[in-house]
Amino acid sequence: MVTEFAGVLVFIIVGILFLAISLLLARLFRPHHPTPAKLSTYECGEQPVGQAWIRFNNRFYLIALVFIIFDVEIMFLYPWGAAFRELVAKNLGLYAFIDMVVFIGILLVGLAYVWRKGDLAWIKPQQRF
Amino acid sequence: MPVITDNIASLGYATPELVLAGFFLFILLADLVFTRNRGQMACTLAILGLAMTLLVTLRLYPAGERLLFAKMMAIDPFALFFKIFFVGSTAVIVLLSPATAYIPRTRQGEYYAFLLAITLGMSLLASAADLVMIVLALEMVSVTSYLLAGFMKEQAASAEAALKYAIYGAVATGTMVYGMSLLYGITGTTNLYEMPQAIARGGAAPLALFVAVLLVLVGFGYKIAAVPFHMWAPDVYEGAPTPVTALLSVGPKAAGFAVLIRFFYAALAVPAGPGRWNPVADIDWPLLVAVISAVTMTVGNLIAINQSNLKRLLAYSAIAHAGYILMGFVLLNGQGLYAMLFYLIVYAFMNLGAFLVVIALAGPLRSEELKDYAGLASRTAFPAVAMAVFLFSLTGIPPLAGFVGKFYLFAALIEAGRAWLWLAVVGVLNSVISLYYYARIVKAMFLEKGPSGRLTVASAHQVLIAALLIPTVLLGIYWAPVARFTDYSLRLLGPLAR
Repeated sequence: MVTEFAGVLVFIIVGILFLAISLLLARLFRPHHPTPAKLSTYECGEQPVGQAWIRFNNRFYLIALVFIIFDVEIMFLYPWGAAFRELVAKNLGLYAFIDMVVFIGILLVGLAYVWRKGDLAWIKPQQRF
Repeated sequence: MPVITDNIASLGYATPELVLAGFFLFILLADLVFTRNRGQMACTLAILGLAMTLLVTLRLYPAGERLLFAKMMAIDPFALFFKIFFVGSTAVIVLLSPATAYIPRTRQGEYYAFLLAITLGMSLLASAADLVMIVLALEMVSVTSYLLAGFMKEQAASAEAALKYAIYGAVATGTMVYGMSLLYGITGTTNLYEMPQAIARGGAAPLALFVAVLLVLVGFGYKIAAVPFHMWAPDVYEGAPTPVTALLSVGPKAAGFAVLIRFFYAALAVPAGPGRWNPVADIDWPLLVAVISAVTMTVGNLIAINQSNLKRLLAYSAIAHAGYILMGFVLLNGQGLYAMLFYLIVYAFMNLGAFLVVIALAGPLRSEELKDYAGLASRTAFPAVAMAVFLFSLTGIPPLAGFVGKFYLFAALIEAGRAWLWLAVVGVLNSVISLYYYARIVKAMFLEKGPSGRLTVASAHQVLIAALLIPTVLLGIYWAPVARFTDYSLRLLGPLAR
């Protein structure tokens, strides 16, 4: 057990050393010609405007949450699909199929829910439901 | 692939959870499809769902003791006891909700759906036999609790309650999961029932094990609102819609006890004869929990004395009661467990009853403050009398149910020998303190003069109050059937542990 965790420690040390050495080497060999454009904050090629500490529309989070749910769905679907042929061979195909139908069905209820409640629209309609 | 066949076979034993999940989705869908009387429909569906869950749970008797879903869940009389308990307490909340004005009309469908979801989470928690399952089920209960606590999101207090609850919850869960990761590191397994052997085999460092246990205890302590992990309770109980408060003080608390018992008695204790256990690797967690128990009831009771808001007062009283129930936990014998389960039943009746009176009066009285309860007995007699009975039962005055419950707890402590006598003394002293603040409410209702004018309580609430009042009185006089049922429900670790 000690040896297993020793591996983690070695990993951390090697990680720190690797970073420190490569940064140090770069510092020693690279040319140093700062210009105002180089020193500005990188924002996908745009001119930086204002502070990063602003109020976000919280719908970003809502959309992100809905996205993650379906992201996870893909993550589960893929290994399921990979193992499906093997399961069919073992006469468990129907079970595996129903399993996934139930899983996707639950997620579909969630999709129907956010849709009907108007949470997929960027400007939420007046709440009727 | 034995996992799949095991899963298929396990489905037959997970019917309560399946029914709850089905009705949860069904209510959500029905709420989206229909446009009229949606609140009423959701409420009816919720009651139907709970009734069906109760039915399929009862059909699982006589339950053997077996592990389901690749050893993730356990099904035994202990788990079924809690499943019935949760269905019952949620049913009370569902039944009392239509006659209240807490939940906005547009969100009633979600409200009832979430009530089923939290019941589902609690059911899973009572069955969880694996660290992973414990975390999942605990999170299911927690996240639903946050949503329910913030259900009146237009009100600042409710939103604050939800936020505080979520932040405290996140910290507590994080700490608990860290402890569990240590446990996994020490034992190499996440299954509770494999841990004692793994610990015995591995010769784990006692200090590491103790730290892990301490960290895990944070998560469970937060769920049962034990000091020092209780700070969220008063604010959440006060800010949340009162029906939700009533549920939080009974359901998730009992679920916390269920997982606490299973975790400690399965993973950190080894059987030492019938109905007796020894702590694994001589880790003195019983003493640790005993100290928490003593501090919990003392702090809860002392702070309750000063409260002027009834929900807050009942919140501190609920904290104190968690301390009382923990007294049975430290004994490591069947008698202590028996006293805990019996007390939980009694506590559910009297605590839900007290909250129910507060809810029933919140409508006509437009207040949940103690000062507005002055002279209540002359304005509406039945709820006042019922409230007095519930409060005296919470104190533990004979011949009410609370007395029998406390009697079992103290008897178990005293029979366990001199070692736990100090805890019994602390418990008795605390009961005396609690009499002061419970009696203060009764005094306000019956002896103080208040405004005149009759108050009418909704008839649905009167019926429900009566339904909770009868067992509170009856269980103080004749409790043999409940005692037998509780005794039967103690079988939680027999064959599984071997």
